[in-house]
Amino acid sequence: MKTLLIHSLIIVSMMVSAPALAQGDPLRVGMSGQYFPFTFVEQDTLKGFEVDVMNAIGKEMGREIQYQTANFSGLFGMLESGRIDTVANQITITEERQKAYIFSEPYVYDGAQVVTKEGNTEVEGVEDLKGKTVAVNLGSNFEALLRELPYADQINIKTYESNLERDTALGRVDAFVMDRVSASQIIKEKPLPLELAGPTFSQITNAYPFRDTDAGRALRDEVNAALTALRDNGTLASISEKWFGTDITQP
Amino acid sequence: MDVLNVEYMLGLVPVLLGYLPLTLQLAGVGMVLALILACLFAVVRVLRIPVLNQLTIVFISFFRGTPLLVQLFLFYYGLPQLVSALTVIDGVTATIMGLTMHFSAYMAESIRAAIVGVDRSQTEAALSIGMTNGQLMRRIVLPQATRVALPTLMNYFIDMIKATSLAFTLGVTELMGATQKEAAGSFLYFEAFIVAAIMYWIVVEMLSKLQHYLEIRLNKAYSR
Repeated sequence: MKTLLIHSLIIVSMMVSAPALAQGDPLRVGMSGQYFPFTFVEQDTLKGFEVDVMNAIGKEMGREIQYQTANFSGLFGMLESGRIDTVANQITITEERQKAYIFSEPYVYDGAQVVTKEGNTEVEGVEDLKGKTVAVNLGSNFEALLRELPYADQINIKTYESNLERDTALGRVDAFVMDRVSASQIIKEKPLPLELAGPTFSQITNAYPFRDTDAGRALRDEVNAALTALRDNGTLASISEKWFGTDITQP
Repeated sequence: MDVLNVEYMLGLVPVLLGYLPLTLQLAGVGMVLALILACLFAVVRVLRIPVLNQLTIVFISFFRGTPLLVQLFLFYYGLPQLVSALTVIDGVTATIMGLTMHFSAYMAESIRAAIVGVDRSQTEAALSIGMTNGQLMRRIVLPQATRVALPTLMNYFIDMIKATSLAFTLGVTELMGATQKEAAGSFLYFEAFIVAAIMYWIVVEMLSKLQHYLEIRLNKAYSR
């Protein structure tokens, strides 16, 4: 009975106050772990551009980074319910998301890219997607981008939790839409018969989302300060060079 | 058709084995809790305890009538929206809650059926020699009911082990979650998932052996 009372007191006190992250508390970061080469797992080690940048930010902030991996579509639910503090998974700043979250300064500038199976001559750009089946990640900004196209109602959009690259290579869908840099990297490094179809069709700007609360705003400011420092001392650029051979952290 | 990358598969075995304990823990804890809950439900149903009986019927109806994945999302993503303190329910807890409630609903019915299935003459005989209700249950009805319920309960346990693979949707990296991430990093899907499949298979196969052994033991009184 006594412990029950204590437990309920703890729960009530947690409901009343959602304290800001104390000095030295770890920053809890969500990512899919399934977005090569931004975040992926090899022999049980979480790696990628996002991991390197986040580790550098953590060092700069003097905080340990605690990674939490889950399917992409679940990440915002975890942010919303306070289980993680931010998402490091190439989250594109969109109007819709800005209504619900606050964003850090952008740290990646990229473009939306159509990718097809190697040798596909029917789809050579976004305008050829009319009447085609196109794969995108569930809950991703690329789905929204496709729906904004004037002929969106003629595109059969298929949403995936993961593995859309493989399904495109297998010919189950005509194309997938993803960001240009990771698509190029997959084609270069992985054994899948894929090719870029045409130029990018929309500029995307990616940043870290935070909850729109006092604690969230304080964290965002902390992360922004770290990002500025890393940009100024060339760390961001060198991490980008390491993974992509080019600097994607500049507009 | 690419050649099977055997070297990659062998390298994956120790990595994935590291996540097997969590998978077994989810199913093991879930099974123990589900069994306790299911026994309570079954007794309530058999004895038709007023109010509790009706509540149990609704509970069983809901948790049998909705998909496990929907229940997991409700516990993990849904509840904290109503009461923010419920964020303390982490992925592991939510998974165990979901498995427990979902499978207890099924198991309650098979336990109830097993109890009801014990011949009435057994009860009458026990009562006629002056056993109390408690003695009757413990010594006469439950041992016979266990024998009948065991195969279906083991079936649910096997099903539960495989159902833990849904936990990754709540951010729990168990065997399936680890496999999915490794596959997404290497793009070697067949290799990764066949290794995971074989691991699940071996575990379930060992359980089947255990079931066989238990059945022989419980059948001793009936064989000659």
